[in-house]
Amino acid sequence: MPDSQNLLDVRGLKVHFPIEKGIIFKRVAGWVRAVDGVDFSIKKGEALGLVGESGCGKSTTAMAVAQLQTATAGQVFLEGRDLASLSAKDLRAARKDFQLVFQDPYSSLDPRQKAQDIIAEPLRIFAKNGLITMDEAAIQRESLSLMDRCGLSASFATRYPHEFSGGQRQRIGIARALALGPKLIIADEPVSALDVSIQSQILNLLKDLQKDFDLTFLFIAHDLAVIEYFCTRIAVMYLGRIVEITDAATMARNPLHPYTKALLSAVPLPDPRKERSRRRIILKGDVPSPSIEYKGCPFRERCPQAMEKCALSPPSLMQAEEGHQVSCFLYGGA
Amino acid sequence: MSEESILRVEGLVTQFSTDRGLVKAVDGISFDLHRGETLGIVGESGSGKSVTNLSILRLVQSPPGNIAAGKVLFQGQDLLQASEEEVRLLRGKNISMIFQDPLTSLNPVLKVSMQIAEAIQLHHGLGRKPAKAKAVEMMKLIGIPDAERRADDYPHQFSGGMRQRIMIAMALSCNPDILIADEPTTALDVTIQAQILELIKSLSAKDKTAVILITHDLGVVAGMCDTVCVMYAGRIVERAPVDELFYDPKHPYTRGLLDSIPSVDLSGPDRLYSIPGAPPNLIDLPDACPFAPRCSRVMEVCTKATPPETVLDTATSRSVRCWLHTKENQNA
Repeated sequence: MPDSQNLLDVRGLKVHFPIEKGIIFKRVAGWVRAVDGVDFSIKKGEALGLVGESGCGKSTTAMAVAQLQTATAGQVFLEGRDLASLSAKDLRAARKDFQLVFQDPYSSLDPRQKAQDIIAEPLRIFAKNGLITMDEAAIQRESLSLMDRCGLSASFATRYPHEFSGGQRQRIGIARALALGPKLIIADEPVSALDVSIQSQILNLLKDLQKDFDLTFLFIAHDLAVIEYFCTRIAVMYLGRIVEITDAATMARNPLHPYTKALLSAVPLPDPRKERSRRRIILKGDVPSPSIEYKGCPFRERCPQAMEKCALSPPSLMQAEEGHQVSCFLYGGA
Repeated sequence: MSEESILRVEGLVTQFSTDRGLVKAVDGISFDLHRGETLGIVGESGSGKSVTNLSILRLVQSPPGNIAAGKVLFQGQDLLQASEEEVRLLRGKNISMIFQDPLTSLNPVLKVSMQIAEAIQLHHGLGRKPAKAKAVEMMKLIGIPDAERRADDYPHQFSGGMRQRIMIAMALSCNPDILIADEPTTALDVTIQAQILELIKSLSAKDKTAVILITHDLGVVAGMCDTVCVMYAGRIVERAPVDELFYDPKHPYTRGLLDSIPSVDLSGPDRLYSIPGAPPNLIDLPDACPFAPRCSRVMEVCTKATPPETVLDTATSRSVRCWLHTKENQNA
């Protein structure tokens, strides 16, 4: 049963997509195992970072947690409640507690709505359904105060999304996510579309908001430096599975899984002397297809430390040291 | 740098006419590129780094684009004055380019070997068969496994990293003097990025190819470049050898950028610095420093006149465009 300290518990989450063949008589020719057995939990006030390369299932995990994608198996508990078991009506009410911030600030805002209306929309929908009691004047006040809190001047209230820069649009997206006073923010690559100088503005804003509103984050990014800056704990995903999970400092200083090591060594450092002196682990080949079923460890073929037993059965996530779990035979396991 | 200069850009101005006015995407840019050097051009989106490089090869679409002033001297010849035919003979042979998105820059209906062979046939006058053999050889060189068989595949049958390798094979097939790489790894994952950067580095070192690397990623610059130009609002605001740029940045924008990046080894501060505001609109820029509204060290003069380029060290051609560093202010 889920731990009461945890805001979010994800247990054995799987999302498999069918590959269909044939035009009239469709048949399922295989499965893409986008998320293939993911377990993690997030404590209140914590920021868990989910990092991995494209196609590793991090966004699908986020969508499944947000109940925007039906899970093939597994459960998502928010404060001990299994979200998938809720009725449509209860789920809608529960959505107040978890909100999303999306990657692309261009396509995630309705181009025909004014900034203030975009931010007020969640409040209006909840008020209309009787889930919160707020009149229009209060909604107006609240949305303006959210704009202010997210660094948007009140004079922008009547502007349309195309009149804003990328960073400002992301601020609108963040204000909208905060409107209902959520406990959990699921942020899917919130800064990867932004330039460096704007990226740090948004990261700092999110950090301030986390403190002020007592938020918990599930933060998804492919940029390890961003994740390590923002998150307290980090989970590394590879081919639909978590291969390593620990706190940010340990992940930076003492990564265990060969994939995490390679990933960290591949990130270019903005420091020419360090760049010249460091030894890079260059992985061979590409990320393999998630539609193949692997008998052994899915990382085996690219792993510089692969052993015989890696081909026989997949390793499971095991405790390597206190608060540090890794899924690799180098650190034990049969 | 003791090596001879192979490309010299002088006072390049490229503008685009739009409904709302004239956009000066590149506003008076000058730099030198030496044989065997890797020059980084960094800047945020819209700073003019890509347009600079399209202008070098006269690939700016006109209209709306227009190279209004300046010189691009390649081995003493001004490419901006040369005939279309003369420039065409240089493209791909002496100067070649790699673009950001390998899928849209490859022809989807041609086999990859044919696309690599095209430049070889054109510039070396080889027949189809020997050109294809050379293409396969290039594919082996850049590390495409099973190159003979894969030569007859189409771009969609390759992964993103492999496609970028094919672009590199195309670009290097005629042993160019200059390779212009415009965000070559931005669309790729970090482990693949590491492979591609390593490849560009080793191939360019082998043939002493000069490389212009355009990127927004300061980490990539730190690992790849000898010299760096930082662009802001169509101008080079600072030029320096890579170590000096990172350890002793002069322009407040460069400093701000460096302080804004989180570092993966957690060596950075607890809270990132952030430059307030956003880059300016390039339409009808006033005669002032374009960075002044965002600058933490702004002075009165900054809003009244455009700062001139101040050369700080002639040997390394280190320079900065900032009123804090002009001769008068240094002496004062």
